[in-house]
Amino acid sequence: MSDDDPAPTAESIMSDNDLDIREPPRILVPVEVLEGESISESLVEFLAPARIILLGYHVLPEQTPTEQASMQFEDRARTAVEDIADTFRGVGRGVETRVAFTHDRDQTVERVAEEVGATAILLPNPSSDIEDVLVPIRGAVDVGRLADLVSTLLGGHAGTVTLWGLDTGGEYDTDAAVERARETLLDRGLPAEQITAEHAESESPVWDIVDRSGEFDIIVMGAGGPSLLSSLFGDPTERVAEGAVAPVIVVRTRED
Amino acid sequence: MGTTPEPGTGATNRAGEAPEQVGLSTEAEGETTVTEEGTELERSIGLVGGIAIGVGTMIGAGIFVFPGLAAGRAGPAAAGSFAIGAVIALLVALPASELATAMPKSGGGYYFISRALGALPGAVVGISIWLGLVFATAFYLVGFGNYAAALLAEAGVNLGGVPIVIPMALVFGVLLTALNLFGTENAAKLQNYVVGLLLTILVLFLSYGGLDALGVFGTQSTPETFFRFGPFPMFTTAALVFTSYLGFAQVATVAGDIKDPGRNLPLAMVGSVLIVAVLYVATIFVATSAFGSARLETFGETAIVEVARNFVGGTGALAILLAGLLATVSSANASILSTSRAVFAVSKDAIIPKAAARMNLKYGTPHVALAMAGGPVLVLVALGEVEVLAEVASFLHLVMYGLMCVALISMRRDEPEWYDPDFRVPAHRLVAGIGAIASFGLILFMQTTSQVIGLAIMLAAAGWYKYYAADVELKGVL
Repeated sequence: MSDDDPAPTAESIMSDNDLDIREPPRILVPVEVLEGESISESLVEFLAPARIILLGYHVLPEQTPTEQASMQFEDRARTAVEDIADTFRGVGRGVETRVAFTHDRDQTVERVAEEVGATAILLPNPSSDIEDVLVPIRGAVDVGRLADLVSTLLGGHAGTVTLWGLDTGGEYDTDAAVERARETLLDRGLPAEQITAEHAESESPVWDIVDRSGEFDIIVMGAGGPSLLSSLFGDPTERVAEGAVAPVIVVRTRED
Repeated sequence: MGTTPEPGTGATNRAGEAPEQVGLSTEAEGETTVTEEGTELERSIGLVGGIAIGVGTMIGAGIFVFPGLAAGRAGPAAAGSFAIGAVIALLVALPASELATAMPKSGGGYYFISRALGALPGAVVGISIWLGLVFATAFYLVGFGNYAAALLAEAGVNLGGVPIVIPMALVFGVLLTALNLFGTENAAKLQNYVVGLLLTILVLFLSYGGLDALGVFGTQSTPETFFRFGPFPMFTTAALVFTSYLGFAQVATVAGDIKDPGRNLPLAMVGSVLIVAVLYVATIFVATSAFGSARLETFGETAIVEVARNFVGGTGALAILLAGLLATVSSANASILSTSRAVFAVSKDAIIPKAAARMNLKYGTPHVALAMAGGPVLVLVALGEVEVLAEVASFLHLVMYGLMCVALISMRRDEPEWYDPDFRVPAHRLVAGIGAIASFGLILFMQTTSQVIGLAIMLAAAGWYKYYAADVELKGVL
């Protein structure tokens, strides 16, 4: 499908100049539009440096054919998505919109993320002004992507980044990962005084992250691979998003 | 004529509504359908889900009602009758699969027939299959009531002679409809669990019984002459038991929601027929080995319960009664779901008022269509005349199956440009021809009452079309 390919627009060329030669990160923003979900203004502003793919979706129980829902609610859903898209356009950024009716939210979000090659997925939560970013590192994460994303979003702002290594006692060297992330952020031009690095031992990272979420305005974390626990209790990032008071941006692992 | 002309459609119904085109046919691949405006419709039912719908719809009657009746008519050759039934079902399932991969839209048989043969046959099939499914659901619910009563009696609950079959059926009918109306948690998931549990019980029962019949435990049973009544009754009995294969086409009613329909639709339809065929044949084999066909006949509709009791005593009887209960639940639930899809499909095409396709945003369920399924079902259950109605349901299904075969032949004769199925039936004229003859032929074996009621319903459907939607044209419109 040709319309999935990101065509270079005036915007992306402009932002290329802003960011030397780097492509701006692409953030998928899924919004359950017909349930009245929306994106707060502060979040829109914070996300402005990224390319936004706004996915308006509506989840149906399996007894309802998606065709039936689209017949009746397609226009309403499209209008609602365009309304949200306008707030992004209001801060001077292009935004790509998509609308989907589905029985399975995760399947749809994952499919669209794949199709548009999204760097990260936003799990919205209410937010006030966004300044302080928490980056919990608790396992393999695409440091390059993470750093690109954080430095692009924070570029020119006064906000801070807290890299928080959560050591669960496994083989993964959290300290090294935090250090690597710090260096990459410095490389990307983020001033050293804006970056803090912390370490902690943690039995259950999800709960610890949720507990600290009140101190920060947004959480940026890696998706983490599938595990037995996540198939039982749901994806860790989703559990964080459910418990946290701040929005969560999930950095996707680069597909090969 | 039409005030709101849409691409490719000629005209409107009495209320000025035109058929609505939702998904673009060219985009109906993989995991999404894309509408004209670019909205994506996610396909989320996989192969297992599709098979669960097919098996869940079919298994209700065949295993629990027919073994005694069929063995009485054909002797141990009743196993052959079920095998013949399966072959006929496959001869219809193959053409249905090809049509479904070419037109993977919700609506199933109705959709194919209206597009291949035109709006009038389409309307007749669409409306009569709605009623056919309503009758079938009522039949399953009464079956549920019977099993529930037998289960209570088996468990030693004394009801003091109060008749509970119909009240149980009514209560459960209300529950299932309510579950589908308000259940935001997926009702279709329930289907998978019920079918899974049911299959587990049956496979355990059949493996034990099969080993027993072969003489692994204790004495080997004396093999009975296979053709106790000669080969001819095997064929006439096949006509009787074909009813137990009605339902594989229900997979096609959810075609719009099936992932990778080109692959999964044919596999789910053919696969579910094969699974139930193996179960049916094994059941008859085990049952006739345990008791001999003459004695089996005297047990009538609860023959299988007696077989289980013979193997493992009261526990076996309880387990099989529970399986019967689950089978009727899954069949009734699958039928209610299919009914609401059938209503949606005809309403989308303006054959009946568009209001029938309305859905409720709060619960996200098609409340009008579900009410049009559940409401009449409850009335029928309360009336209690379900045996005849079950046969009427078979009649209406068979008409649809026959016409699907005709639709395939007609489609292939002058293939429209858009006709590009992922799966093509080999020797289609022969397969679809035999499928059509067998489907229509089976109707002749039915009771006159059922035939009269079935014909009356079809005439009424045709009359409705002439009155309400005579200008609507659907042939070749995707």
